[in-house]
Amino acid sequence: MDLRLSEDQSMFKRMFADFCAKEIRPHGEHIDQAEEPPVELLNKAVDQGFWAALVPETMDGCGLDVYTYTLMLEEIGRADMSTAVTLAMHNSLVVKPLLDHGTGEQRDRFVAGLAMGELLGAFALTEPGAGSDAASLRTAAVRDGDSYRLTGSKVWVGNGGLAGLFLVFARSAGGITAFLVERGTRGLTVGYREKTLGLRGVSFNTLYFDDACVPADQRLGEEGKGLDIAQQALNYSRLGLGAIALGACERSLEEAVRFSMDHIQFSVPIAQKQIIQNYVANAKVSIEAMRGLVTHTAWLADTGQDFSQHASITKLFAGHTAFEVTNKLLQVHGGYGYMKEYAIERYYRDCRALEIIAGTSQIQQYLIARHIYRAEGLEIRP
Amino acid sequence: MDFSFPKEYQLFRRVVREICDTEIKPLAKKIDREHEVPSELVRKLASLGLMGVPFPQTYGGMGGGETGYCILAEELGRVCSSTTTVVGAHIGIAAMSIHLDGTERQKQKYLIPLAQGKHIGAFGLTEAAAGSDAAAIKTTAVRDGNEFVINGTKVFITNGDIADTIVIMAVTDSSLGAYGGITAFIVETASPGFSIGSLENKMGIRGSSTAECVLQDVRVPKENVLGRFGAGFLTFMKSLDIGRASLGAGCLGGAQAAMEASIAWSKLREQFGVPVATKQAVHFMISEMFVDIEALRSLVYRTAWLIDTHQPHIMEAAACKLFGSEVAGRCSNKALQIHGALGYSRDCEIERGWRDQRITEIYEGTNEIQRIVIAANLFRPYGVRIPT
Amino acid sequence: MRIIVPVKQTLDPRGITVRRDKERIFVNQEEYILEPGSKAAIEAALRLVESAPEAAGGAELVALCVGKAQADDALREALAMGCDSAYLLCDKAFEEADVGVTARVLAAAVEKLGGADLVITGRESGDTGAGQTGPRLAEALGMAQITDVYNASIEEGGLRAVRRWGEGYCAVLARLPAVLTVAPRAFPPRYPHGARIMNAYREWQVTTWGAEELGLDEGALSPLLSFRRESFPPPLQVGEQFEGDPAGMAQDILAALRAQKIVR
Repeated sequence: MDLRLSEDQSMFKRMFADFCAKEIRPHGEHIDQAEEPPVELLNKAVDQGFWAALVPETMDGCGLDVYTYTLMLEEIGRADMSTAVTLAMHNSLVVKPLLDHGTGEQRDRFVAGLAMGELLGAFALTEPGAGSDAASLRTAAVRDGDSYRLTGSKVWVGNGGLAGLFLVFARSAGGITAFLVERGTRGLTVGYREKTLGLRGVSFNTLYFDDACVPADQRLGEEGKGLDIAQQALNYSRLGLGAIALGACERSLEEAVRFSMDHIQFSVPIAQKQIIQNYVANAKVSIEAMRGLVTHTAWLADTGQDFSQHASITKLFAGHTAFEVTNKLLQVHGGYGYMKEYAIERYYRDCRALEIIAGTSQIQQYLIARHIYRAEGLEIRP
Repeated sequence: MDFSFPKEYQLFRRVVREICDTEIKPLAKKIDREHEVPSELVRKLASLGLMGVPFPQTYGGMGGGETGYCILAEELGRVCSSTTTVVGAHIGIAAMSIHLDGTERQKQKYLIPLAQGKHIGAFGLTEAAAGSDAAAIKTTAVRDGNEFVINGTKVFITNGDIADTIVIMAVTDSSLGAYGGITAFIVETASPGFSIGSLENKMGIRGSSTAECVLQDVRVPKENVLGRFGAGFLTFMKSLDIGRASLGAGCLGGAQAAMEASIAWSKLREQFGVPVATKQAVHFMISEMFVDIEALRSLVYRTAWLIDTHQPHIMEAAACKLFGSEVAGRCSNKALQIHGALGYSRDCEIERGWRDQRITEIYEGTNEIQRIVIAANLFRPYGVRIPT
Repeated sequence: MRIIVPVKQTLDPRGITVRRDKERIFVNQEEYILEPGSKAAIEAALRLVESAPEAAGGAELVALCVGKAQADDALREALAMGCDSAYLLCDKAFEEADVGVTARVLAAAVEKLGGADLVITGRESGDTGAGQTGPRLAEALGMAQITDVYNASIEEGGLRAVRRWGEGYCAVLARLPAVLTVAPRAFPPRYPHGARIMNAYREWQVTTWGAEELGLDEGALSPLLSFRRESFPPPLQVGEQFEGDPAGMAQDILAALRAQKIVR
């Protein structure tokens, strides 16, 4: 068992780290304050392959394995979480499902645009009455000749304000079904952008479907297979968020260590105080535990094994732990941790989202328990 | 044993709650968005005697003692942390230090208008290199005839830019260290040489200003020495020690509001065909909030009683601040989780509470300092000195 | 000038749930408040005094309350709001009081105090909604009464009040003494000053008078009304709608009224 990075993986990691440190990291504060999605940065990231991470080389993508994909997200997360989450949602929740479930024709039509930075992807599942209970969604898809008419609304659609391609889940005659819907589709309106606590560089929008006309050949997978597609996409998303959390915690630790060495109180750097050392040590423990989970889960994915249980475990652990870690590392900064010039201030707010998006921590707990009891022959209800 | 509040405090709480719900709560979002507690609101609170709750009526106050002040802080904390902070810094440390250590003349000249809310107060201790290590301040005060000349820069000063009166700690003898070398001064901010530098851009309590105060050859008459000359450290410790109890009360209000909002939302919001309140994960969180809140309530008001009956209270007050801020943190975090995505949105009050409460574990002595204070007091009778 | 304000203590409606389906009123939290109409009356009195200090010339505000011992709290709040003195009219013999008895007790107290220039009450209280205390008191004291007042001021020779009259308002001039009942909406009560709240319990007194002090015998205290039971009014029925030309509709309505024996 060799846990060392391969030569390729090391090379990619270095490339990612260099690009993110140089191009993305300096803009983190501005992205958060201006609450602007970093369009320029996202465009620059195209050449790095950040939009095509999981697209096979045969389709002109990066062809990264899942583990290297997590290395990529870790580095972006280290530099700026809004940018990281934007790209993660694009790759995990739209590009990957298209690659896995799309027809050849669908892939020909959309993959290039998604990979080349022309189309940003957005995942539209949640509705006002269907959050944790996603399966109770009400957006309707009625077959009409060679198209479907979609009616309903979606909320908290990440990347909604920028996306060129939406993966939308609606209820058709055969059950919950996935659809690829282009921006500009008649009947689709991109509406209200949420004002969020953190991840302020991400655009979360409400979508309205008013008899929106979607060609039937843009249905992704069979009717009734929507939830399966969503679940599989969410596995990648959850793992990806774990990687982002890892990068975020590493960045937070870096900030706290530097601060504690520079900040002198009682005639010594506060790094000399036992309690500060304990906070730093505990953060490191959490980071390494998170790394273990991300690595293991990515390996399961890369070896073609079912990784849904581990994706939930990673997401649950990462969400909870990132909060604890950023909270304590903010405390290391004292009053400065409350000021917006210090990166920890926004990492604390950004990380708080990790216990909510892509399924709340409570949902992850349910999924993990369900898996355990199912193996024993008992079905548990949410 | 009677755990009920005396009737005047019950009526006081009812009236203050009505004021908070009617006059302040509807403004809370705007206060956060526009970074300002409106001066009309402060004037209104002053007109009802609320800017001087703990001080004797003979000094323009309400005569409510620490108990009355904790009730005010709790009710304000329930609706708007920014207002709580503005009022709290004014009453709890600025005016309070003059109440505790001022001469009769100083009380007449400065405490009365502060208690009446005609003047706003601030407490100028912290500097860039002197936060937890308050004794490391570098601002100097040099005697010149019948005056002292003060030079230095204070940072993170609540109300710094709106205060009329500011209590400044300065070094009067750098050879003597903390005990003997620091003196407190009452400074009128209108004095020539006093100016405001930058205002901090903060995560929360954005309606309260956190200012850099620059003193350049600011002259104060020698009569404005507050407390004993050279005993400034004791003066500010006394003030901070008492101030901590009411901070716990503010946290209590915030935690209470988070719990009430969680109850209201969870019985309304349905998923999987039932109110989310019926899910164990949810109502267990709420039950835990209740336990935290009840424990904090007892701690805060018992401490207020200790203070009002002139009993030792340093450890208990530090415990109020330490426990209170952690309770507020746990409750606001659970409340956010219960509200789901809505809790992450600025359209919902919960999000603001989560940001506002984070500072409570840091200001007026970080929670690490509180633990040191408690330990130092616990071990003192045994002759063990706890270093900072 | 003496202004007397009779106040009432009632259950806080926020602690009550009305369940029509169970035909019951549930008291979830038994808390008592100074009735909002009473607070409006105090506010009206304070404004009158403030608006014409010379005319009011050393005005004295007295709060009276017929109630149980716990009504002391309502009077303390009245003191905190700005009343100068407060009297609790409390006696076992008052417990069965109906509106008539209450008015007689209040009148006796007013006379014991040596009369008043003005008596101000709320228009009606939130619990019973009877609205009779003011008018009955005016009769008992032989004073002019002006009800449902939205505005009042002391003028040369007396008082000018604006009261509700049908769909609008009218101005009334009255010589003092007079009884006013005020519209709560028109006099949103001020918050009491913190120091007055403290002093209301710590420094000031509430004097208690019973039947003996007020010189009231059994006869005066016998209620005319007895409480039998309370029930909900029947649900509002959708009425019958008439259509057609006015003359035809008039005939139809008349026929319907005759059928129900409302007219002959």
